[in-house]
Amino acid sequence: MKPKIAFFDFAGCEGDQLQVANLEEKLLDILSHVEVVSFREVMTGHSDDYDIAFVEGSITRPEDEARIKDIRSKAKYLVALGACATIGGVNCIKNFMSPDVYKERVYGTSGRWYSTYAARPLKKVVKVDAELHGCPIDRSEFARVVKELLLGRQPWIPDYPVCVECKKAGNICRYDLGRICLGTITRAGCGACCVTEGAHCWGCRGVAPKANLDAAREAMNKNGFDHKTVRDLLRFFLGDTYAPL
Amino acid sequence: MTAYTVYLEQLHAMLAAWSKEHQVYVPTAVEGGYFDFKPWREGVEIAFDYDLAYNTLKRYFLPPKEDLVVFDLAAKTAEMVFDAPKQLLFGVHPYDIRGINQLDQIMETGAPDQYYLHRRDATVVFGLTPMRVAETAFWSSMGAGEVDRGFDLFWTKTGPSTFLVEVGSMRGEKMLLAAGELTPASAGAREAARKAHLKIMEMGRSNALNFDWKQVPRLLDKCWNSPLWQKKAELCLACGSCNLVCPTCYCFDIREEADELLQKGVRFREWDGCMLTSFALVAGEHNFRAKALERYRHRYMRKGKYIYDRYGELGCIGCGRCVRACTTNIANPREVFNTLWEASQHED
Repeated sequence: MKPKIAFFDFAGCEGDQLQVANLEEKLLDILSHVEVVSFREVMTGHSDDYDIAFVEGSITRPEDEARIKDIRSKAKYLVALGACATIGGVNCIKNFMSPDVYKERVYGTSGRWYSTYAARPLKKVVKVDAELHGCPIDRSEFARVVKELLLGRQPWIPDYPVCVECKKAGNICRYDLGRICLGTITRAGCGACCVTEGAHCWGCRGVAPKANLDAAREAMNKNGFDHKTVRDLLRFFLGDTYAPL
Repeated sequence: MTAYTVYLEQLHAMLAAWSKEHQVYVPTAVEGGYFDFKPWREGVEIAFDYDLAYNTLKRYFLPPKEDLVVFDLAAKTAEMVFDAPKQLLFGVHPYDIRGINQLDQIMETGAPDQYYLHRRDATVVFGLTPMRVAETAFWSSMGAGEVDRGFDLFWTKTGPSTFLVEVGSMRGEKMLLAAGELTPASAGAREAARKAHLKIMEMGRSNALNFDWKQVPRLLDKCWNSPLWQKKAELCLACGSCNLVCPTCYCFDIREEADELLQKGVRFREWDGCMLTSFALVAGEHNFRAKALERYRHRYMRKGKYIYDRYGELGCIGCGRCVRACTTNIANPREVFNTLWEASQHED
């Protein structure tokens, strides 16, 4: 029997589900092995009978907790999809402001109608079985992990920093160009796409499991980036990592 | 050694001819004042005076990712795949040729690496005498300032538009003379090339090992418990950059991926590095180099001793790429070896 899969989203842009939809023909081939029962990005209809739940977005309201716990209770396997779900991501920028300030900034005078609270990744509320990192996720990685699960293999997710993929790509190191970069501590798997396209790493895939944060901070400071610049960059995606609730 | 004089105005036609059969790569300026090998085509300016190619040239023989075997899950069949495009590396410095020579030997020892050897055989190497030394480089004191093999031709710029071209193989000579006869080099031209070589060796001496490189293996023998390893390792990002830019590091990991219908698949290899935390992770979650200190020390032992013990030369050619690549400035073999040497001089 084909495993039944469902997609859900919380606070996020649905960019990760869009990446899945962007697999196009590849997605159709993968769908010959699974049955999608809920995926509002690409289909109508919904069923509560599913084995694997792919969940995008972070938990930002008290009432989200009941919903994610309900999804958890129905799913045999829960996969966090994308930075908001895995590490809290950009939603956590607001965690460094008082609720009055961010509510006013986002909702103006209607702020008091919204029950928003500090943003957090899924694993702060429910047990998460697997994580697909990135903002957005890498669709080839999504396809590969799904295939590995279907074949009964343990999915392979890199545990080394983005520097490895920059070296493979032959990129000029941002630090050699006098620029800042979080590739030194960020989990690889994106193919160093941001650096390859001329930007720097923002840390969207979260901190690599054994990253040396102290050394990375020292290197940033020694390269001329002051405390505030480093702090702001770290808070962009890694707010929950650096200041967990 | 047979040598010819070639003029700059002859070179363009040669490049055009060679690129008909080969993908030609040449050193050229890239962003940030650095240099790298890029595909040659009309309009690409060759930086004859480049100091160091930013990326290691091993990628032309041992690509960052390379398919090895294609397999069919239903039919239970597997087949090796070889992709060895004809390529020409024009302008490779002697220390990088040393690196290639060492890889050649390593890859042929034991079970010969067929993938590497196919690519190597399909690659023509034209050497070039350096005209500048990168500030991180120390090859002149690592015995890597000159080569007598490993190239098909060796070019030395002896004047504003003159080259002395030494022949290293019949393949190289045939390619050089393909467009017509050339003037054999005069005694004076050979002397000019020798002077150019002496000049660059002298320039390289400003950044040197403070002792004979042949002492490095014996020095490391005594330094297993040096406090230096821990001190440096505290700043290690475990990013593997020093491994991956190294011309003589060759470790790789092998993985597989199935197609979307789960019928066929490919086994491939990707660069790996002993500075990455999971490099030594084996079954049962056991990691035989779990500590940063152990990984950091291992790299120097590898470069300065283990390779020497097996092949009679150091695993470091002094190109200085790791020095540049390390964000926390701890990957400098010259500095580490000099510090250990200095400390050993004060022992009884």
